[in-house]
Amino acid sequence: MSARVTKTTPHYLMLLPFMLLFAVFFLYPIVSGLIYSFFDWAGAQPTTFVALENYTKVLNSRNFNKAASNLLLYVSITVPLGLTIAFCLALLVDSFSGFWAKFFRSAFFMPVVMPLFLAATIWRWMYAPNFGLLNTILGWFGFESVQFLNNVNTMLYCLIAVDVWVSAGFNMVIILAGLKNVPKHYYEAARLDGANKLQQIFYVTIPSIRPVLFFVVTYSLISALQVFDVPWLLTGSSFAEYGGRANTLLFPVMDIMGRGFGAVKFGQAAAYGFMLTALIIAVTAVMFALRKKVGEV
Amino acid sequence: MKFNRLLSTGTLLAAAILTTGALHAQEKVVLDYWVYSDFAQGEALKLQQSFISEFEAKHPGVKINIAGKGDDDLLTGQIAGAASGTGPDVFMNSTSAGAALVQAGALKNVYEDWMAMPQEYRDQFNKDLIAMCTPKPQTMYCLPYTGFGSFMFRNLTVLKEAGIDPATPIKDWNDWVAQMEKVKAKGKYGIPDMTQVWGSFLNIYSGIAEPNEWGADFEKKKTLINPDKYAKTAELFVKMKPYSTGTSINDQATRDLFISNQLAFYINGPWANPPFEQAAKNSNLKYDWVLIPGAHEGKNGGVQGYEFIGVAPKKNAKLAWEFAAYVTEKQQMVRWAAALGRYNSNQASLTDPAVASHPLLAITYKAAKTALFNKPPFFSGVYPNSYWSAITDNASAIEDGNMTPEEGAKKLIEELNEILSDG
Repeated sequence: MSARVTKTTPHYLMLLPFMLLFAVFFLYPIVSGLIYSFFDWAGAQPTTFVALENYTKVLNSRNFNKAASNLLLYVSITVPLGLTIAFCLALLVDSFSGFWAKFFRSAFFMPVVMPLFLAATIWRWMYAPNFGLLNTILGWFGFESVQFLNNVNTMLYCLIAVDVWVSAGFNMVIILAGLKNVPKHYYEAARLDGANKLQQIFYVTIPSIRPVLFFVVTYSLISALQVFDVPWLLTGSSFAEYGGRANTLLFPVMDIMGRGFGAVKFGQAAAYGFMLTALIIAVTAVMFALRKKVGEV
Repeated sequence: MKFNRLLSTGTLLAAAILTTGALHAQEKVVLDYWVYSDFAQGEALKLQQSFISEFEAKHPGVKINIAGKGDDDLLTGQIAGAASGTGPDVFMNSTSAGAALVQAGALKNVYEDWMAMPQEYRDQFNKDLIAMCTPKPQTMYCLPYTGFGSFMFRNLTVLKEAGIDPATPIKDWNDWVAQMEKVKAKGKYGIPDMTQVWGSFLNIYSGIAEPNEWGADFEKKKTLINPDKYAKTAELFVKMKPYSTGTSINDQATRDLFISNQLAFYINGPWANPPFEQAAKNSNLKYDWVLIPGAHEGKNGGVQGYEFIGVAPKKNAKLAWEFAAYVTEKQQMVRWAAALGRYNSNQASLTDPAVASHPLLAITYKAAKTALFNKPPFFSGVYPNSYWSAITDNASAIEDGNMTPEEGAKKLIEELNEILSDG
């Protein structure tokens, strides 16, 4: 027993710095957030235990329903669309070699390294009602100017376009790495069996990179559930007002910030945050369960 | 030999400890002073640095670090700092954020310090604003500092092209809409979308409402908005929609439209002037400013708001108060207003001859007299986070034709009262 302890002790000691950081920056905020969610807490003022009141207030609030329905719509479009575009881009880049492969990889990856503030600003200009690029193009074809970021029918799709543009490069690189690992003889065998390009993609490529696709979907889902920066910047928000026209771009993280720093309801913000965290953990668990079920561990 | 080495090392260590201790004893008292970003750049920063140097010269051993922050950074930093004890010692913020800062415990009650100041000093300030900083007896949360009143910038080139004589004042809302119609006929825009931002909405609503018809009664948990006047305002939004840019007053695209002679009327505070002034020097922008027209002749719209300077309840609060009192004193405020044309709450400074003639200050002064306060009452209650979006959502829905102004007004009042009751 003592020999085992001696043998493993250095390993645990080496893990200790990480465990300490993990406890301080990950576990402590989660546990303290959970505790605060049961209190009426406004920063430095004394706190009062309110049991589940913060949760019920959040769930019954006007903004919660709107944010939840916006999030559902956003996630259900962004994730499949983002995955499809990233997959197509990866196939495209994979079909090139040498300079052009590097060029396209860098070009598509550029939005990932660009600061989100800059990306959102560029797109605000693209969407500008009078002299924005999109309206200029519409004008060439004789169409009236569209107020993309002030129209409840177009705002969400404008956001999705920006987010897909920003994230496609990252997902593309991951999928591309997966594509490089598919043995070439799989394709040779498929070609000998008479499979066309599309059949090769569906019967060889996709099954071969399923673990990679699972990762991309899980990662995209988690990111989409936490959507904040781009809609915040696109709508030029502040803590007093956010979400754009008719709250079309209102999402949970924005509402959490507004409750915390706008209305100084940190207990409610913590409850909201904890519910969102629970949702993200649940979604991740479902994705892992699905992955096991289809035999890709 | 070893002992000697140990002894000399010990001596050196002791000397180092003593030296460090002595250095600590001589360390300066450092005050962190947080301001809005526009106070920490250009001419404004130079002036602030002069105030700081003067104060430091009178208080040897004191050092003041100024830091400029954006609106949201300022608020979050002060609220988070209050909870953790790491925030600034002395800071400014908008009176509209006053209640949030009180609730977060970020503001020290400075009533005793205020009362200890000479009567002559206390008499310099705008009495209404002092009353606002003092929401209950013997409780004072701030010193009123700078302020604003919004007004309307007019693009003279656009007006001229539309055949409008800018020398003839706009009488009322109908007259104003008629001018926008002429502007639109020339392919230009009349006005930004005033329903997108609550402050922008208020610029128009204040053209019909009285001070007691805005804000909220936190004790009764009722909104003070007058539904009839709200409906009249919404009617105007419907009329203005065809002439609107569809962009918010906060959008850079809107300012660019004004600068590029595409937009006739732009409503904002005096801080919006510098880019226009620059454009007038560099390009062919010709503009002036007038008060915002109201529903009838003699009535004007607009929003007035104030920035206060507050002291955190920290160990150097006494010194922080002295600094706050120094920068808000008449002589400093005269220099501030004269150099920047910025309005402030020191009534004595505004009447000083060095200041009164500044054109930007003159229009701000006039505008503030007729405008409504942005989020009253300032230090009494925190507005729930959905209160403001409920107003802009409702106004947008009426403008889009989803409700009549009367239906919208009824729905809005019910909704705001419900939001206030829920907290």
